Amino acid sequence: MQVQTRVDIHSEWGIVAARQAGRKLAKEIGFGSVDQARITTAISELARNIYLYANQGEISIEEVASAGKRGMKVVASDRGPGIKDVRSVMEDGFTTSGGLGAGLPGVKRLMDDFDIDSEEEEGTTIISIKWLR
Amino acid sequence: MNLELQVQERENESTVFLQGEVDVYTASTLKESLLPLTEKQDEKVVVDLSEVDYIDSTGLGIFIGALKSTDKHGSSLKLVGLNDRVSRLFDITGLNEVMDIEEGKREEA
Amino acid sequence: MKQIESSLYQIYKEMLSNYLESKNEHTLYSAQQFSKEMIEQDMSPEDMISLHLSVFREIIQYVPDDVEDSFDVLLEVMVGYGLAHREHQSLRDRQRELESELNVAAQMQQSLLPSDPPSNENGVELGLISVPAGKMSGDYYHYMTDDHGRLGVAVADVIGKGVPAALCMSMIKYAIDSLPEQRLQPGPLLENVNRVVEQNIDNHMFITMVYGFYDPDVHQFHYAGAGHEPGFFYRAKTDTFEDLKTKGLVLGLSKKTSYNEYVAEVELNDMIVLLSDGVTECRYGNDFIERDQITALIRKYSHLTAQEIVENVYRDLERLQSFQLRDDFTLLILRRNM
Repeated sequence: MQVQTRVDIHSEWGIVAARQAGRKLAKEIGFGSVDQARITTAISELARNIYLYANQGEISIEEVASAGKRGMKVVASDRGPGIKDVRSVMEDGFTTSGGLGAGLPGVKRLMDDFDIDSEEEEGTTIISIKWLR
Repeated sequence: MNLELQVQERENESTVFLQGEVDVYTASTLKESLLPLTEKQDEKVVVDLSEVDYIDSTGLGIFIGALKSTDKHGSSLKLVGLNDRVSRLFDITGLNEVMDIEEGKREEA
Repeated sequence: MKQIESSLYQIYKEMLSNYLESKNEHTLYSAQQFSKEMIEQDMSPEDMISLHLSVFREIIQYVPDDVEDSFDVLLEVMVGYGLAHREHQSLRDRQRELESELNVAAQMQQSLLPSDPPSNENGVELGLISVPAGKMSGDYYHYMTDDHGRLGVAVADVIGKGVPAALCMSMIKYAIDSLPEQRLQPGPLLENVNRVVEQNIDNHMFITMVYGFYDPDVHQFHYAGAGHEPGFFYRAKTDTFEDLKTKGLVLGLSKKTSYNEYVAEVELNDMIVLLSDGVTECRYGNDFIERDQITALIRKYSHLTAQEIVENVYRDLERLQSFQLRDDFTLLILRRNM
């Protein structure tokens, strides 16, 4: 049975806790040190987005398997203001402007699969997976 | 290239004092302050250009936009204190025929 | 990919062992060359750090824990650099894309302008140069000879420059093309072009334009202007320049605008000079180029052909501005030579 770990994000401590849990699981799954650093960076960015712009939300992580591959899934969800124009947030160059959603193109690059679902006034859910090679 | 802008508002009349250059870089600053004034009905908008030494065509476009806006909103626009170079521009473009322009330079003390 | 990685591993291992042994500059030089290959192969900084650590481990067998742990911190930092690096690459690709799009657009724009060189028959000679400040131009020019040898010319200037100005400029082209019956009526032609522009232009935009035609049978130049920078009329007999003044409002401001038509009697070797305000708004330092500087340049080259005159004047003005054009530049000279 797969175990899901959830970390509430409402302070910077939450960000660190999420990183820690993420690194631990990544190590267990067998990711090398570079990929461990990538996954934790991605978790950091996702968690910071929640902390800075949605105030509250959670990061959940779990091991996944598909077609003989093992991987790690990171889901960030919040009930914040939502992202109005997802497309422009995913554009490069937006990162430097700061603001909600900044850093998401980076998360997409760090992970293998990336999906985002956001509704204004409802919140945002971002699902990302890194596969073990 | 800079443009300094001061707005003095009284009842039904506002005066915009400009200092510097109205060009492609500063035109949006002018547009943001000038256009809303012309959108008030019966407002008399005066733009004092005596401290403006240069207007380029983009800057001129802002005055044209403002003029169109006065027609639409029933306000009025008047330009005062144009120097020779600026005045020539309004001359060439034919705008002096359709705009309320008062030349006359302010005397330096 | 695995193969490349293992061969990189070997190369790096050799370099690092060499260097640890001999500490020579030659190896460091190889390392520098190696970095180019890594970049070429899109190796991220964090992967590079990781490669270094694995190779290092293999070479010296025992790496102190402190050193090993310090790499955790370095890796974390380099992941950030790696992201910035990749973002930079993707932005660079996008810039290339935009640039090639712009090049295509610039070519399309070029096709809106007359493609045949001006004919110098019918007793009149035409010289023309038009240079955009960027890739695309907000200046429009036009020339065309009809069946009776009458030569129509126009110069129009859209405010601003670059893509927005270029988009507007195509409107002028289509408006003129759709008015063939008014080629010999400069005033009504401008009135009609104005109607098209007024309906299709943003509130803060406008266009200035001068249109005229030369009739070789009667040696007259008929013209009208819409708020355009005045051209010059050069009288060969007295060797003097006069302003080619026109009265008329810029295009796009008011639906009902009428334009006066003017006539100039053109004698042998007289010149008509039309220009865009990129010519008179040339700046060097904080100074503007005055109109009499331009007429002086035209006079200086007046012994040459009309085409050579415009080219030389442009070259001189370009140098005065240290080769940085602030606005699109168009200069047209028409000279009676028969």
